Amino acid sequence: MATPVLICDDSSFARKQMQRAIPDGWEVDITFAEHGLQALEIIREGKVEVMFLDLNMPVMDGYETMQAIKDEDLPVMVIVVSGDVQPEARARMLNLGALEFIRKPTENAKLVEVLSQFGLYAGKASAANRAEKVATVATDSIKDKLDAYREMANVAMGQAGESLAKLLGEFIDLPIPNVNLITNTELHMAIADIQTNESVSAVSQGFISAGINGEALVIFNDSNFANMVTLLNYTDGDSDASYELEALMDVSNILIGACLRALSAQLHSVFSHNHPIILGRHCDLDEVLQTTSHREEDMLAIEIAYSIKSQDIHFDLLLLFPKKSIGLMFDKLVTNN
Amino acid sequence: MAIDSSLAEMHWKHDLLGSIEVGIVVLDKNYNVQVWNQFMENHSSIVPGMIQDKNIFEFFPEIDEKWFCRKAEPAFTLKSPVFIIWEQRPHLFRFDCNRPITAQSESMFQNITIFPLASLTGQVEQICLVIYDVTDEALGRLRIESLNKQLEKMSRLDGLTELYNRQYWGEQLSLEYKRDKRTEVASALIMMDIDHFKKINDTYGHLAGDSVIKSFANVIRKATRETDLICRYGGEEFAIILPDTPIENVEFVAERIRRFAEKKYVIHDNTEVNYTVSIGVAGFKASYQSHTQWLDAADKALYKAKESGRNRVMLAE
Repeated sequence: MATPVLICDDSSFARKQMQRAIPDGWEVDITFAEHGLQALEIIREGKVEVMFLDLNMPVMDGYETMQAIKDEDLPVMVIVVSGDVQPEARARMLNLGALEFIRKPTENAKLVEVLSQFGLYAGKASAANRAEKVATVATDSIKDKLDAYREMANVAMGQAGESLAKLLGEFIDLPIPNVNLITNTELHMAIADIQTNESVSAVSQGFISAGINGEALVIFNDSNFANMVTLLNYTDGDSDASYELEALMDVSNILIGACLRALSAQLHSVFSHNHPIILGRHCDLDEVLQTTSHREEDMLAIEIAYSIKSQDIHFDLLLLFPKKSIGLMFDKLVTNN
Repeated sequence: MAIDSSLAEMHWKHDLLGSIEVGIVVLDKNYNVQVWNQFMENHSSIVPGMIQDKNIFEFFPEIDEKWFCRKAEPAFTLKSPVFIIWEQRPHLFRFDCNRPITAQSESMFQNITIFPLASLTGQVEQICLVIYDVTDEALGRLRIESLNKQLEKMSRLDGLTELYNRQYWGEQLSLEYKRDKRTEVASALIMMDIDHFKKINDTYGHLAGDSVIKSFANVIRKATRETDLICRYGGEEFAIILPDTPIENVEFVAERIRRFAEKKYVIHDNTEVNYTVSIGVAGFKASYQSHTQWLDAADKALYKAKESGRNRVMLAE
């Protein structure tokens, strides 16, 4: 009899990616849910044995879903599949009763290892047939493409968050990446998390690989600096101003470095990145962005609003890709999966 | 044959490492030098043989060891490349400038990249430092910044007296008004006008008029505190914001300015040119709807001083 399996993820790209990793030999009957609330309804009907659960979702996230499963004592085995791979995220979910925690993008080999560990499946690992049957992206619609970029950003965001958590020793709250196709003149609209009249400081770093280039911006709200400097525990500078610059550079080095490493892995490209420059210090967002060229051309803007809630720290990572990079990026995301 | 070609390859790669105009240093986990290229040798006068396997901090005591180790740490532990820009520290190694005669700086500005070198086991056992000479870029940036500061300062000042100009002072008044509204501290405004200034100009000429204006600007400077904001409001009109000052003290200051001006004179064509001033004073009141209303009150007091015979101080109602 086929095992009833539920894949719960807000991204259709990620749902398909998960589906494609399930080994051919495992007889399954797959249903899908876009968020925790939908998943709970399906589980309550008693139709699910195994659920692959994402963490960051709208409506009801993975933590809340797991809590509800625990509270209602629902009979389902949960394997977390997440871009957020911080030790604390893992610990929280295992504490709530999840069986295992797999990092995105799901690798077939890792999945089979986990399945056999819990006696769910012990056959061959290959998922070649299923991967062939399930196209990663069904249509060529802009919505599906944005969804693929969002999932790519989601994984990169998670790995950058993990590195930063190690540096700071704090849990980093991860948002759902905000992905838009915009023109240069609309750039300020891509930065939803920062008010235009707030005083900010920003660093920019360019990166390039064959055919794909882009720019990463880290934007700090100035009012957060004091808390950040405390977290970093500096003792070797000589003034507040120098601490702020060190904090800005240390955080953007880690974020951009880890993020690009994750993008490299997903796009199968090696990026070279040049030296960062300071776009502006203690100015408003418009001043930071005024140096951008004014070509009226589409670009892909991914905003990731990181925060450390316990310290009231917020900062933005903005990944920008010019029009000529977007198409190739999509091809690489889809074909190499 | 195979040995020959690999030897040849090693040779040109060595040449390559030596010819590029960036510094390349490889360090192990204990910060001992493994690679030291020609650029580093030329700028430091330390040949590779001297520094090989030696601790970098012993040779360069100017490097802040604690700071540098903290920066390099993520390259080892997180396999993350680290970028250090000259704005953080102008240089890591104190090297002379490339152009010893015409460069505007004694030492080289440097951007530093630190990236991890993975060993066969995948562990990071070594890091590579790349040292870029960014002296010209840095000096250019610094020059622009200092020019901008100068411009900003100039745009705030009146050319003749070097007091603040009306526009900047007006912005400050608006801020002071908001601050007073919020904190209910007592600040005050003084408006001043040189009496019969047109007559001075007509009698002695405009150069004499300018001298009188400069002389009065100095009178105000002497009579006020550093925290007071003085401006040349118009041709022969001046104004002061006195933050956190009770009205009795402001009256005292105004009276002092009036007396100083009365005694003061400028010499023009061997003639003493005397002048007097009229002054209006207005303390902050919470009932003012805007900073312009406050200014208006001081202006009206000044007008009253003029009306009632000049060379006197009047308080706003």
